[in-house]
Amino acid sequence: MLFNSLEYLIFLPIVFIIYWLLKNSYKKQNILLLISSYVFYGWWDYRFLSLIIFSSFLDYFVGQKIEEAIGNKNKKRWLLVSLCSNLGLLAVFKYYNFFADSFSSTMSSIGWEVNDLTLNIILPVGISFYTFQTLSYSIDIYRNEIKASRDIVGFFTFVSLFPQLVAGPIERASNLMPQIEGKRKLNATLIKTGVFQIFIGLFRKVAIADNLGVYVDSVYGNYEIHNSSTLLVATVFYAFQIYFDFSGYSDIAIGSAKLFGFNFNRNFNFPYFSRTLTEFWRRWHMSLSFWLRDYLYISLGGNRKGIVITYRNLLLTMLIGGLWHGSSWNFVIWGGIHGLFLSLEKYTFSALKIKTFNAFGYIYTFIVVLVAWIFFRAPDFHSASTIIVEIFSFNYGSLFVGNINTFINGLLLLVLGFCIDLKIFRSKTPLEDYGIKFNTVKLSIIVSVIIIMLCLFYSTAENFIYFQF
Amino acid sequence: MNSDITKKLLKIVVLTIIISYGLDKLVFFGLNKISDNVMTGQAIGKLNQFLSVKDNTDFLVFGNSRANHHIDVDLFNDNSYNMGVDGVGIAYNSTLINTLQEDKKQYVIVHIDTKNFFDKDYDGSDIRGLKTKYHRNDQITTALNNSNRLSLLQHIYYSMNYNGNAIGIIKNYFKPGYDFKTYNGYDPLTINKSQEEMRDTILSKADTNEECNKNLEMNLVAIDYLKSMKSFIDKAPNKTFLFVTSPIYNDTCDKDNKMLTALMNELGLNYLDYTNLYKNQKDNSFWKDPTHLSKEGAEAFSSVLLKRYKTLNN
Repeated sequence: MLFNSLEYLIFLPIVFIIYWLLKNSYKKQNILLLISSYVFYGWWDYRFLSLIIFSSFLDYFVGQKIEEAIGNKNKKRWLLVSLCSNLGLLAVFKYYNFFADSFSSTMSSIGWEVNDLTLNIILPVGISFYTFQTLSYSIDIYRNEIKASRDIVGFFTFVSLFPQLVAGPIERASNLMPQIEGKRKLNATLIKTGVFQIFIGLFRKVAIADNLGVYVDSVYGNYEIHNSSTLLVATVFYAFQIYFDFSGYSDIAIGSAKLFGFNFNRNFNFPYFSRTLTEFWRRWHMSLSFWLRDYLYISLGGNRKGIVITYRNLLLTMLIGGLWHGSSWNFVIWGGIHGLFLSLEKYTFSALKIKTFNAFGYIYTFIVVLVAWIFFRAPDFHSASTIIVEIFSFNYGSLFVGNINTFINGLLLLVLGFCIDLKIFRSKTPLEDYGIKFNTVKLSIIVSVIIIMLCLFYSTAENFIYFQF
Repeated sequence: MNSDITKKLLKIVVLTIIISYGLDKLVFFGLNKISDNVMTGQAIGKLNQFLSVKDNTDFLVFGNSRANHHIDVDLFNDNSYNMGVDGVGIAYNSTLINTLQEDKKQYVIVHIDTKNFFDKDYDGSDIRGLKTKYHRNDQITTALNNSNRLSLLQHIYYSMNYNGNAIGIIKNYFKPGYDFKTYNGYDPLTINKSQEEMRDTILSKADTNEECNKNLEMNLVAIDYLKSMKSFIDKAPNKTFLFVTSPIYNDTCDKDNKMLTALMNELGLNYLDYTNLYKNQKDNSFWKDPTHLSKEGAEAFSSVLLKRYKTLNN
């Protein structure tokens, strides 16, 4: 079920009403949330529910075993069970064809012909998100940071809670489990901030991102025929499309969760207002970047083992982070670019003994992010490199506009979205709390205006970009 | 959830429904007022102009962008209008044809695309292009209701009828793109020197021989709309209809063309298939891209069509 569908418009209020009718028993509420979450996911493909149930069951069981195990060796053994099983699921469903294909290509390049090893595997929606969530649960128990859950319904709800099931935010057990295993309360703050964030999210996704996407798709679909200016504008549009698409999704997820009394962690914090790439990663897809930092970068040694190892760890973390997004070398290169520049920044900061860049840092960060996005959006390495070469050949002829209505709509909505972001950013109040500024009447007016904007500018994209990951 | 919170929540919901409903009507009627005065642009101007001239015009052309860019109506008749619109299919055109006065003597060319009839995903949703006239033109409203292509919310929020068009309408209201009084609906595609290289690259990509799809099946929705046109033709003996498919750069499969020709014959409709008219001509100057003729190509094609038109009318 998509957040921007009529089904969700009906689903959310029904679950909401029944949920609060059961307010006297949080356990009954959890049962309702679990069933609703499975309906939400099964709407897409009920067969893959078995994977979520398997993953939930495995980590529920393994989590207890890690906690009960005596001695570090035994704990590690159980942790390995969780790591191998979860990463095994990812390896089969997400990466098998990628590695099989890469192996065949490598073999054929040295003259050995190998039969086609790829399999007809469908990528289950959200698998990267919920496996990371369950993994962090097991690792946290191993690190003695949380206690293993003994509430099977609560734990299954933690893994599958519908607002964050298919594209995050990747919630930590330390934040979410105590909320699931306790009584929730709905207050005016949660309602206001939740409603505001849901509608802002819808506007970002359905109006801004989807309109920008029409132009981006038409240019990237025929990149060979376009000049530098067209490819540059399409890439800038893409940078904002993916931002408004994914942050919009996160807003709807976080806002929806608030209506059920849950506080999710923040996932975006105006990433394009960053003066360094390091800052960008503290603001972009925060639940993933903090996950990678806490469970991968630190596990590899972080910055504790000398400067060379630190750079290696940064690069490795970003390469794996890139691969997490999808089974393609383009994502690895995307991660590599970020890793490389993060390392260079670290070196520059320590050499110049500074903590950040001046105002030019905004431009530098945006350019690096923009170039990396080309690898993220282009279908393969060849097309990405062709686009980069064309952009930097400075062949700035007339701009391809395509459908003038769509282009102008996209451009105006982008400016509007940017202005809204700038206003909230400068107010120093996080978007997550912004709704509290309005009284009931003001909030209703704002929501009504957004509804009319959606009526006038909605565009019908099939999916959210991050669903494919 | 205590009663205070319930009250607050209900207040937000009720207020939002009332305010958004009122605001929607305000925006809708405001845009109606503006759009009624817009006669330029593809967003609504061309449709407005068509609706105002359709019953006083002797020669009409319907179809998609290929009709719009390929048929120079002035060659056929001084009192003519080309109603070709980007991205539309047979549902859109059939609906517009059904708005014509039955007893008025007119010559009508309907440009049809073979692809439209063999696209298994075609569901007639191009009829949504007429949504700006929903609740404002009886025939179009009925056709939209019958098509089931409108969202349920569209019955509540009327401003959805202006989805994607509002900016274009406002722009054309304040700054019309051309003088509509001298506009006949035909928009030839000119290509400048810098676009020639791009055009040649695109055409070289289309220069391949792909095999026909083995399971070619005609789309039932498209056939239904064709039959709707046929019913109108039967009720309008004063009108002469000619169905035309204009040239394509490199159509590698003729099975679909033959099937469509057979259907047109079966329905007793006059049909001319010019898909392969310029197939063996290696001169790229006739083309803008594999499906659109350049101005030069369109003028040549219009002349060929004119000759045939004269033959048919003698």
